[in-house]
Amino acid sequence: MVQGSISNRIRTLRFMNGEMSQAELGQRIGLTRQTIAAIEAGKYSPSLEAAFRIAHVFNVPLGEVFQWDATGTHATTRIVV
Amino acid sequence: MSYREKIAWLSLIAMAVAYGPYFKLAAAGPGPWEPLPHLHPLGLFAVVSIVRMLILGAGYLYLRLGSPREERPLLDERDRAIEHRSISAAYYVLIAGMILVGCFMPFSSTGWTIVNAAIFWIVAAEIVHYSVVVASYRLQAS
Repeated sequence: MVQGSISNRIRTLRFMNGEMSQAELGQRIGLTRQTIAAIEAGKYSPSLEAAFRIAHVFNVPLGEVFQWDATGTHATTRIVV
Repeated sequence: MSYREKIAWLSLIAMAVAYGPYFKLAAAGPGPWEPLPHLHPLGLFAVVSIVRMLILGAGYLYLRLGSPREERPLLDERDRAIEHRSISAAYYVLIAGMILVGCFMPFSSTGWTIVNAAIFWIVAAEIVHYSVVVASYRLQAS
């Protein structure tokens, strides 16, 4: 199996969008604040639909929110669920 | 700590408080004063069930009053994934226990020993269920 991990720029994108809170982002895409925190920390991998919703909120392509690191060495991307 | 994690902790505590003493007393068996053969275990189980319901009721009330509405939202996809995983784990415990109780114990035990063994495996499955919920939320907490 191809080894790798997922990283994301949600924290940066929140900052760039008027320091949007985790709760507000969660409210806009139907997730809880805790789930947004878990996604941001790389501890939960969201569904494809949720990922697209996040990208839509920030008005950027999906690839600008989530990145695939083929080496799997990124520090904050360990997926638990 | 999220609202759902608190609920899982509450359920674990209620089971420990109620069923811990129950299994200890059930293992001791009925006393010599026992007037009816089923009165002791039935009464004990009724008391334990009431105690558990009281703990859960009081706990739910406390958590509900202590948490604003926005802190106890509907289930989202991560909550459902955790729930799915915890129920799957509990299912294997329950099915293993029921096979043991239903297929093997009738050849070696009788009556309340079998009933208590069935209750034990149901409680064990519930403990696994809520433990996986708590562990999952803990692992994903930032």
